[in-house]
Amino acid sequence: MIIALVTLPLSLLGMQQQGGAGIAARLAGRVSPEVAALVVELGTAASARGLPVDPLIQKAIEGGAKGVPSERVATAVRLVVLELDTAAAALRQGGVVSDTLLIAAGEFAITAGLRGNDITALARTGASAAALTVGLRVAGTLSAMGVPPAETIGLISIKLRSGEPAGDLLLVPAQVQTEVAHGVTPAQAAAGLERAAAAQARRGPPPGRGTPPPHPPAPPHP
Amino acid sequence: MSGHDFHPLVKQLLDGDITLADLPAELRAEGENALRLLAAVDRTDVSVPAVTWRVMAALERRRRRVLPWLLAPALAVAAALILWILPAKPATPAALVTVRFVLVAPEAREVSLAGTFNQWDAHATPLVRTGPTGVWTATLTLPAGQHQYAFVVDGVRWVPDPGAPAVDDGFGRRNSVLTL
Repeated sequence: MIIALVTLPLSLLGMQQQGGAGIAARLAGRVSPEVAALVVELGTAASARGLPVDPLIQKAIEGGAKGVPSERVATAVRLVVLELDTAAAALRQGGVVSDTLLIAAGEFAITAGLRGNDITALARTGASAAALTVGLRVAGTLSAMGVPPAETIGLISIKLRSGEPAGDLLLVPAQVQTEVAHGVTPAQAAAGLERAAAAQARRGPPPGRGTPPPHPPAPPHP
Repeated sequence: MSGHDFHPLVKQLLDGDITLADLPAELRAEGENALRLLAAVDRTDVSVPAVTWRVMAALERRRRRVLPWLLAPALAVAAALILWILPAKPATPAALVTVRFVLVAPEAREVSLAGTFNQWDAHATPLVRTGPTGVWTATLTLPAGQHQYAFVVDGVRWVPDPGAPAVDDGFGRRNSVLTL
């Protein structure tokens, strides 16, 4: 499943770079000609910068399906491009050579309410690209659940630094949800899980997991 | 469950995290009602003929969570349940996860599901009404990964799943997020 989470976008989300003709073909009949032309233009330029194109296409298709006026679809597509650029810059600042999967995950995190410096903080955990991709998507999910950025980044950072398997990372939103159901706030739930993860890290990895590789200390969350 | 949301502990009961005996006495009646609703849903065969790409591998059924929620005043009562049924042995290298979407919408004439997994096609994935309680369900097998979606009520109302995290869709609405 983890492999699929990382590789899925290659096929399902179409993160592969696409030429203008490919973009136009995917949009044909789904959006207005004006929106299609804009997405081809923006997508071609984004692809040249190493950004994924599929988020633009998906947003345009979504707007068309929802009956949104073309002008508003165009605005939303431009915003996606801006978020992709922000995510890519944040990853670079974190010292990560990012690929389209990572950038798309970062864009989701931004859509969910995180900021560029949050993404940079996660990038600086030294996690592998695959783990960071999952971490960014889980961080975005936590943000969408109402966990503040500081608690989100604190929790995901410590889990990435401790080498937590991606499958365990995917369980974090459900763990937060369980705590919230018992009456705490999302922030308190995440903080509690962060303390538990820190304690676990001090005790060492659980049997069978091995010793995680050393990582540089993460900078304090702004 | 008319007019109000389930208590968080009842949601935990539906999630399978606690048992009926763990509920405080004052919540047991609500818990029993919720379990009856769930049982009614689970007894109903669900077919989604529009989803031709559905892959039904040998499944080890595992209930991950069931979340009924208040949806919107205009619908009087609406709720959403999701059951995740994980494949014991993935049929393909790309893991597939079977997900049941459930929406309680007694006033709705039709409900469908649109999202990144079906190109936001509001007609591709209809939910099936199961009985007189206004419970609408659809079972999909989706690739593991992250998906955004919304329910489409009566072909015009795009409604996020109140039981799932949601993000701004850029058009003034919210999309639900499902991470498998």
